[in-house]
Amino acid sequence: MLLTSVVFAPLIGAIVCLIMPKELTRVVAVLTSAITFALSLFLILPFLGGGDASRAIEVFGGAYGEKLHFVHRLPWITGETFSIEYFLGVDGLSMPLIVLTTFVALLACLASWNFNEWKINKSIKGYFFLFLLLEMGMIGTFAALNFFLFYIFWEIMLLPMYFLIGVWGGPRKEYAAIKFFLFTLAGSVLMLVALVAMFFYSGEAVAGGAPSGYLSGVEITQGTFDLIELATNDAIQQHFGASSTLFLGRAFAPLMFMFLFVGFAVKLPAVPLHTWLPDAHVEAPTPISMILAGVLLKMGGYGFLRLCYPIFPTGGVAWAGVLATIGVVSILYGALCAMAQTDFKKLVAYSSVSHMGYVLLGIAVMTHTGFQGAMFQMIAHGVSSPMCFFLVGVIYDRAHHREINRFGGLWLTMPKYGTMATIGFFASLGLPGLCGFIGEIYVLLGTFEARHQFAWAVPAAILAASAVILTAGYVLWLIQRVYLGPEREEHAGFPEATGREMLILVPFAAFCILFGILPKHLFFDYVNGTLVNIVDAVQAATQTGAAYAAGF
Amino acid sequence: MFEQFWIPTVTDLTRFAPELTLVATLVALLVAPLIMGRSAKTAGWIALLGTAATILATLRVGGSVHAEGISGLARPAAAGMLILDNLTVYFKIVLMLFLAGVTILWFIGSAEKEQHGEEFFVLLVGSALGMVLMTATLNLLMIVIAIELASLPSYAIVAFNKRNRTAAEASLKYVIFGGVSAAIMLYGVSLLYGLYHTLNVADIAARAVVHLNTGHNSAIICIALFCFFAGVAFKIAAVPFHFWCPDAFEGAQIEVTTWLSVSSKAAALVLLLRIVDAFSAATAAHSMVIQITVLSGLAWGLGIIAAVTCTWGNFAAYRQQNVKRMLAYSSIAHAGYMLMAAAIFVHPNAPADHSPIAAVLVYLLIYAFMNLGAFGIVAMVQWKTGGETVDAFNGLGRRAPWIAVPMVFCLVSLVGLPPFAGFIAKVWLLLALGEAGNTLCWTLIVVAVFNTLVSLFFYFRIVKAMFLVDDGRDAFTPPIAGTALVNVCGLILILFGVIFINQPRDIAKRYAANLFTPAVLKPHDRRATATSTTPPDLASMRTELADGSK
Repeated sequence: MLLTSVVFAPLIGAIVCLIMPKELTRVVAVLTSAITFALSLFLILPFLGGGDASRAIEVFGGAYGEKLHFVHRLPWITGETFSIEYFLGVDGLSMPLIVLTTFVALLACLASWNFNEWKINKSIKGYFFLFLLLEMGMIGTFAALNFFLFYIFWEIMLLPMYFLIGVWGGPRKEYAAIKFFLFTLAGSVLMLVALVAMFFYSGEAVAGGAPSGYLSGVEITQGTFDLIELATNDAIQQHFGASSTLFLGRAFAPLMFMFLFVGFAVKLPAVPLHTWLPDAHVEAPTPISMILAGVLLKMGGYGFLRLCYPIFPTGGVAWAGVLATIGVVSILYGALCAMAQTDFKKLVAYSSVSHMGYVLLGIAVMTHTGFQGAMFQMIAHGVSSPMCFFLVGVIYDRAHHREINRFGGLWLTMPKYGTMATIGFFASLGLPGLCGFIGEIYVLLGTFEARHQFAWAVPAAILAASAVILTAGYVLWLIQRVYLGPEREEHAGFPEATGREMLILVPFAAFCILFGILPKHLFFDYVNGTLVNIVDAVQAATQTGAAYAAGF
Repeated sequence: MFEQFWIPTVTDLTRFAPELTLVATLVALLVAPLIMGRSAKTAGWIALLGTAATILATLRVGGSVHAEGISGLARPAAAGMLILDNLTVYFKIVLMLFLAGVTILWFIGSAEKEQHGEEFFVLLVGSALGMVLMTATLNLLMIVIAIELASLPSYAIVAFNKRNRTAAEASLKYVIFGGVSAAIMLYGVSLLYGLYHTLNVADIAARAVVHLNTGHNSAIICIALFCFFAGVAFKIAAVPFHFWCPDAFEGAQIEVTTWLSVSSKAAALVLLLRIVDAFSAATAAHSMVIQITVLSGLAWGLGIIAAVTCTWGNFAAYRQQNVKRMLAYSSIAHAGYMLMAAAIFVHPNAPADHSPIAAVLVYLLIYAFMNLGAFGIVAMVQWKTGGETVDAFNGLGRRAPWIAVPMVFCLVSLVGLPPFAGFIAKVWLLLALGEAGNTLCWTLIVVAVFNTLVSLFFYFRIVKAMFLVDDGRDAFTPPIAGTALVNVCGLILILFGVIFINQPRDIAKRYAANLFTPAVLKPHDRRATATSTTPPDLASMRTELADGSK
């Protein structure tokens, strides 16, 4: 019930927003996201002490999916040949992301507080209604453990995001909004094919593995949409992984893995499916950029960890090289693009592409360290990148432009803001002691770890490690151009960061530092158990499937 | 000798009370002006009352529908001249509700200035009667008559505003295409009759299956069947028989467009499902090999037409500036989705609960709401601003938010995205396809989901115009009744998409079950009252054919 209330609290708030008078809308919205955040903090409780070996089984279960917390299951859609459950639950994979979502949403909501001063400030009710609807969709996506429910929440996010970018965005908002929508939908239609296929093929598996369908004269057996069941039921796993299981003439597991992967890679975003991201970020209003970077991109990584790997481990082996290549290319290409930008916001957007490349690389190598690094990188990026977008937003509110080369000496004009900016960008750079470092180093170590399994692991790790230089290059150059140097006259009148702005920046900065210093106590203790379970299951399955994967 | 003249009993007639009610409504519409003087509104009220009476009659009859489906008003009763089964009951109710919706739309927009309301409603109700008959027969002659009864009033009603040149042109195109395809269909029908000396589709199917398998006359059978299906495809507006559709929809007045967009396609689809069912039933007695050779041709044929139809419709819609024309292509695309269900239904092993038919029925119901809402809003924009291009929707979110928001619901639902009913309709269709589970079905699933993506392009041009573009046009107040109507449609789409997901399907399943399958009557005992429900055995049929060919 707690989880359900976390998911639907924003929806109630959204409806209240529509009813309340205009002046109170933003108060209602902030209150709603604050309540949601407070509720979501309770989700952490069962994970406390997960770092103790003695309590690990109790917290995370002995195997993937064995132990879920705050489970809420209800029959939802039923038919003769199937049933779709309303099934919510959290484990170490989804809990941190849900808390991150409510956290970023609360701060993004505060960042929308000055809505009335925006250039486009029509329909405040509509804005906060869609904002909260989006929050519901995001939390729901992380909490849903039924594929059908997951898909519905996944798609529910599209419409609010389209309008939030399209109505309240910058000059090219129409283009950016439809591009975002089309890219994401292109990915999710493939997911829909996988959804239907997985349902019927799991039915076949339960029935003994013969191809089913009345056209071949075989009765349909009930399949399942349950994401945990799909990953843990031996019959289903065997049938999915068998090379004799075909879908339109191709091996089932690698093909489905790819269908799902493309859907999530668009969100991540991985090169070459990333082109919507710079457009969407540049045009979106600041709070929406924060949500987009902080939470929406994590859906991609979460999707890999929740759907692709546990359900199609053999697919993961089959595509490991491709995925790692895409990851490394994303890291390098994103960093190079970031270096070439003169638009402040676009630079941060491309740095997101680069950072999320580490997530993909860490996942692709399928080692414990790699998965942990990828997961940490998601959370770290979820803290540092909304902060960077907000930092851009703060300066944009004052200068009304985002040309990097026209700034300079801002630290002298706005010392508090300058300090915060330095923390934020250094965290993004991956400076040891700040949050960005831990994730990257774990991913690199995890990649090296896989060198016995994959010949490409070492070159990939070297390339990814060398990208740190590029990252340092564009971040330091950025700081130099924007914050250092002599004070400029045109910036003289810029007021220091206001109390509200500091209220948003300080929590971000605090977590950037805390995650960098105490990664175990703040993060790995609550997460590792689940990740270890997933990796163990994946490795066990791939021992048997490795030979077949080579044949795909 | 008297045996030849058969007079239906009272029981027979009461079974067809809904049809008779519609006929009575037609008569009332014609007679009323003589008694009460000409008044468009009176005609509208008569039509509305007739619709309500038909729904009541259907509900009353529906309660007594036999589990096996009843065919009546012809002898022998199993011949399928006029069928009463669950499917016809469902279709009649949905069609009449939709007719009521269209009539309400007419009341809101056109009742004040309409000069010829009586004629308008005679044509409208006349075509409705034709459509009702289309779904309730498996007799070749009756099929032709029903299609003509549905088409002829449609031709006239498209050109109802005779001063409008576009409407006249649209109607002419519609007539020419309709006439040609009717001729083609009649040609096919006469070939079939000439081959088999029977009008009963079940008889024809039983013999054609044997012939197709033995190769006897197979070329001419294929030609005949193709011609026959062409007539049905014309009504569905399946590619390549769709050319009339965009023109007719653009030229016609908007209530007529709304009406045709759902009803004529729905009726033809149900008819197609019946014919397909007759063919698959005819193969039930044969071996698997015969089933596969004969039916996979039909299944692939329909499947390819379905895939091409929805893809073509969605791509063609993208370039349209006129919203009515855009929605016309959208209706072609949606007919394509529904045709997919017909393609997989071609098999005797199709599930006994007829999930493909249930999927089509749910789709039709939800599609009716989406279209009523979308066309209703287009109508209101047109009445208030005179424009029906995409530009006319610019800034509608500010100018008339109470119709812009339900328009978003309708359009997103037409795309088929959650949390709206259109997504649920699509999911049932995909699940029905998956149940069949062969290459064709999975290919169709892939085609269907990619069409979702393509359709997003053009539906969202309207959304974009409404909310993202604002060129400062004047705000306006849409008619209250119309606003209420479209908001109800929007609300229904959300409710069916989130809360009441099961209910439409449960209802549809109930009505899709126990589809009436006419008995195969051997030629020599066609006049006998005794009916045999056992399928013919192959050997006796071969002998019989050998006898016939002497």
